[in-house]
Order: sequence, then structure tokens, then C-alpha cells
Amino acid sequence: MSGQWWALTWLVARREIRDRGRAKSFWVATIILLLGVAAGAVIPALIHSNPTPQRVGVVGTPVTALTQVAREAGRVSGTPVTVVPLPDTAAARAQLRSGQLAAVLVGNSVVLVKQQALASGSPGASLAGALSQLAGLQKLYRQLPPSAAASLASHGVALPIRGLIPPGRGLASRITGLVTAILIYVLILTYGIRITIGVGEEKASRVVEVLLTTLRPVQLLAGKVIGMGLLALAQIAAIVGLYLILGTAVGSAAVRGTSAGVVVTGAVWLVLGYAFYCTGYAAAGALINRQADAYNASLPLQLPLILAYVLSYTVLYASSVNWFYHVLAFIPFTAPVAMPVLVAVGAAPAWQIALSVVIILASTAGMAWLAGTVYERAILRTGSRLKVRQVLRSAA
Amino acid sequence: MTGQGELELDRLTKRYGEVQALDGLTFTVPPGQVFGFLGPNGAGKTTAMRAIVGVAAMDSGTVRWGGEPIAMAARRRIGYMPEERGLYPSMQVLDMLEYLARLHGMTAAAARSAAAHWAGRLGLGDRGQDRIEALSLGNQQRVQLAAALVHDPGLLVLDEPFSGLDPVGVDAMSEVLAERAAAGVTMLFSSHQLDLVEHLCQSVAIIDHGRLVVEGSVADLSRSGPLRVSVRVADDPDGHWAQQLGPDMAVEQITAGTVVIRLASRADAQAVLDQARAAGPVEEFGFVRRRLSEVFRDAVRADSEPDVARAGSASTGGANR
Repeated sequence: MSGQWWALTWLVARREIRDRGRAKSFWVATIILLLGVAAGAVIPALIHSNPTPQRVGVVGTPVTALTQVAREAGRVSGTPVTVVPLPDTAAARAQLRSGQLAAVLVGNSVVLVKQQALASGSPGASLAGALSQLAGLQKLYRQLPPSAAASLASHGVALPIRGLIPPGRGLASRITGLVTAILIYVLILTYGIRITIGVGEEKASRVVEVLLTTLRPVQLLAGKVIGMGLLALAQIAAIVGLYLILGTAVGSAAVRGTSAGVVVTGAVWLVLGYAFYCTGYAAAGALINRQADAYNASLPLQLPLILAYVLSYTVLYASSVNWFYHVLAFIPFTAPVAMPVLVAVGAAPAWQIALSVVIILASTAGMAWLAGTVYERAILRTGSRLKVRQVLRSAA
Repeated sequence: MTGQGELELDRLTKRYGEVQALDGLTFTVPPGQVFGFLGPNGAGKTTAMRAIVGVAAMDSGTVRWGGEPIAMAARRRIGYMPEERGLYPSMQVLDMLEYLARLHGMTAAAARSAAAHWAGRLGLGDRGQDRIEALSLGNQQRVQLAAALVHDPGLLVLDEPFSGLDPVGVDAMSEVLAERAAAGVTMLFSSHQLDLVEHLCQSVAIIDHGRLVVEGSVADLSRSGPLRVSVRVADDPDGHWAQQLGPDMAVEQITAGTVVIRLASRADAQAVLDQARAAGPVEEFGFVRRRLSEVFRDAVRADSEPDVARAGSASTGGANR
């Protein structure tokens, strides 16, 4: 394949990109997708929303030491704390009554709250409880040499907790997985059908007959799927970029740890899925003579993805993955949706992901060969709608 | 750039299932001529043209241009107008032309200026930014011709370029074809409008059932066939004067006093003239050129007769059973 071969193919791809870029429907769809992704990034953040910050008053000296205790208490009780230094106990009482403060630490003597809790035995998780215990510890620090006290204060007093089993995939990861599955499913189908319609249009309008005087069928096919693929890639990049930026901005659990991994895995599988399916959709377009047949002709290519997508709900909401869905993650037709779903629920070890990637890459080559053959033989055959078997049986 | 020599169709054969589309079709198109390609519907014209541009594979036979089989590089120098018009409906006129020019190997700048040139030349100068589907059918046809010409091809293959054009469009198309032929381009176009072909073409090939039946220059063909004169004698609307003609002369047709007489030899023309003058003042006398439409009908009829005979015997056999 010479430079000129690619130059012509690139001309075809560029026309596709310009043609789609001019279509209003493309931009409407892109905006809807981006809005959906924005929702996907923000909703987990809302579910896991951080508690609203509490105002804690401190009375007495040294203010820095008291402030440190108040902050530490916030950390221990899982409540963000805003520390408000106050001149005297009277001001503290007034603000407590009006509800402007959640609690007040008065020197090393007492923790004031608006209303006494009924069971004041061990309020470990509550802010006031943490304040009382930490302030008490602070008293003990005083007995220590200054250096040891400073070290304790800066590292905090709470010990880390380590579990024996890694954390399970939480709701945030599952929701991210669902959004990813929906996007993969929607994008492959949208672009696939777009390719079928485009090829069908070229065939129905007979422009293909003019084009094929200077292009080989494989160039026309390659140019089309490359052009569409670049558009899809740009859309994916915009989606993932928006997701990461927005997710970071709202401090969403969706961009931390496992969820970000799910998103990146999803993007990779979207590319793999597109590569696998795109030539097939082009071949479907070569079989039809009217654009109205595009959906029917491409239905066999849509069904596996629909199946994997619909069944993904059972996996994302169940506590375990059934064996059937696990098998789908290794079949190239369903893997682009099924494997990211398995990753989202933490059911796919690395070697399984690698195996599935190898399978789909090999299948992509096979699909391209088969689809290229069908396309080449069918694209100039007008008349009634053709069947794949009929085309393959006929001579080139 | 001009042409690259003559186009040869050499024993082209193609069968689609039960239909023998081409059956050893052979003829040659010289460069620098407007060459008409005629034949009844289903004769194989479109299949032959698709074979030339390389979008239909033949069972056997070769197409050569300038003595060489047409390879991919040569195909870029062909301008093709398919029978069923083919353009992207949603593309703008200039974008479409520029795209096709680039696919035929032109640089971006050359493609842009060629697109503008041909759009202007074919009267589409102010429609350059319009989407093709927004144009009238006649204008779409002009875009299609521009698409075939935009890369300055050395070989033009035009399938029914005149169908669907109004008289102004026909004139514009004719002018362009004549000009390209004069520039040395090798050109083949098919048409059913025989009077137009007769007027425009230097040579024609007529095919039927996938075979060549007549080939030659329009001038030669019009002189071929039986010799005829047309005569009108004043005040004789029914041509009574022609009732007693010599043995080698036959009245073919009488229309509003004009009598067409078939002759055996050129010398007989004088005898006819004498007889007419004897009957009254002669208002019209001349040799009748054979019309291309006649050549066409005779050629196609002669070609079909064996088939008709076969079909007749077959149906008789059926009746006997």
C-alpha cells in the first residue's frame, strides 16, 4: 500500500468527517451524550456527598492548639469543620442558641452543645463526642515533652484500619460501569448504523460507481470506517475528558480509584468494539439498495450488543456474576459491553481482560476480511436486497 | 492534456445468469471524434461502458486505450457519467467537484480552480454553495457532466448524457462534447436521441444483443442503403404522376405531394425527373439521405429476425403439445 494509496483513502476519510461534522444531528447527539456523561460523573458524587461543614467555636488560649483539636475532631468524626475563635463563653452560648455553631470547645474544661444528648456514654462518631475525647487527650499531651506532643498532634491520634480483603466495588463503581456500558452500546450502534446508512446511500445514489473508477472498494471501505472512527475517537476523548474534569471538580467518587479504571477500560473497549464492528456494518450497507433497509440489514450486528447491554443490569445489580455473562465477555460480539461491566464489578482478573483483548483483536482481522469480501462483491450489484450467503457464494 | 489514442473493445463477453449481456463485442473508438454508441434497451451499452471504466468485470475480453489494457493509473484519466446519476445528494456542488478532482489525482489548489471553472462553464457559477439535492434535475445533470470533466480526462465515457436535459441543456452539453473532441479527447457516449446523435457525432457504433451490428462514420452510413429521391410536382397532392414508373423504381412513400422513390441506379434519377417534369412544374427534387434512425431500425431489425423466427417455432411447438 503506497503513499498514494493512503492519500486517496485519507481523502475519503476526510470527506466523511466533514460530512458528519456539518450535520446538525451529530452535534445534537454529541451534546446529549456529554450531558449524560456529566450526569454520570456528578450523580455518584451526590450519592456520596460529603456532609456539610460544621462550625465549631473555640474559647480560650492558645487558639492554635484549640483549633488543631477541633480540626482533628472533625477528621475523626468524618465531619468537615470550620473553626471560629470566640472572645468569651457568653458569645459562644449566644451563637450556640441561635444555631450558628454546632459545638464550642471552652479551653481545656468543657465542650458546649445546644442540647445535651440523651445517651452521652460513648458518642465516638459525633462531633461533640470527638471534641470531648480529643480535648481530654490534649490535657494528657501537656504532661509529655513538647516534641512528642507536637509529633502526636501533627500525625493525628487515630490509628489506621487495615482490612484483610480489599474493598468491594461500591455503588459508585457500579453506576460508572452502567454509564460506561450504556455509552459503549449507544456509540457502537450509532456509528455502526451511520456507516450502514452511509454505504447504503453511496450505493443507492450510484455515486459509488463514479468513485470506484479511481478507488478500489477496499479504499472506499477503509476511508469510511477510518473517518467515522476518528469522529468516534474525538467524541470518546471529549466524553472521558469531561468526565474526569467534572468528576474531579465535584470531588466525585467516580474519578477515584476503581471508577476511573472502569472509565478508561470502557474507552479502550469502545475502540476495540468499534474496530471489530465497523467493517461489518459497512458490509451490511453494501447489501441494501434503499436506505430504509439499513436497520434491518444491520440487525444481526445489533442483537449481540443489545443482549450484552440488557443482561449487564443483572450483573451490575446482583452481588455475583453468573457464568453466562462471564462467557459473553470472551465472545467478540458481546465482549465490548460485557468485559467493562465485569471490570466495574471487579469480577475480571487481569489475565482474563488480556485474553479477551487478544480474542477480539484476532476476530477483528477476521471480520475485516469477511466484511471486505462481502462489500467488494455486493457494492456494485444493484437490484434486490442481497443476502450474505448469496454474495459469498457468487464469484468476485 | 489531450487524449492518449484510440479505445478498443476487444471481444467483450459477459453473462449475468440467464442473460448474455455482451457477446464478443468488438469495436474501436478513434480519438478526437464525437462517437455515438447506440442500441435498443438491453443491448448491452451500459455493461460495455461499465467494463471500460472498470466497474464491471468481464467474463472474457479486453478493453485497451492507447494500445494498453486500462490499469488503475489510466482509470484516473477517464471521465465517467453513469447511466444512473451518482453524486452525494447532501454535498455542495463545488465540494463535490473538488472531491472528485482530488480523487483523480489533482492537487488541492488545482482541484479547487478546476471545480470553479467547470461549474462556471456549465452555468452553475452561482449555485456552487448549494447542496446538490437542492438543484433541479437538469442542473444536477450539469453537475454530473462537470464531475466527469473536472479532472481534464483523456477518455470520456458518458452513458445517456442527454437524457433529462431541456433544449438549452442539450445545446450546452453538445457544445462541450464537440469542444472536448476537438481537443483530442477520446469519447464514447450512448443515446436514444438518434437525430441528436446524427447531428453531433462523426461516427457511431450500433449494438444489439451484446454484439456489434453496424459501425462507421455518420456520413458513410447516410450514403449507404438504397438510393432514393424525393420529388414534388405542383398541384398533385396524391402523386398521381408517379403511378407509371419504370421497372427498377418503387414508390416508398407519398406525403403531401412529396413522393419518395427508391432507385436501382443513379442514372434512373434523370428518368424520374423527366417524367415528373412531363406531369407538371417540379417544386422539389433531391436525393434522400438515409437517416440514422433508419440505419438503426434496419440494423436492429435484421439482427432480431433470427430470434423472432426461433421464438415463433418455439411457440408453435408449445401449441402442438
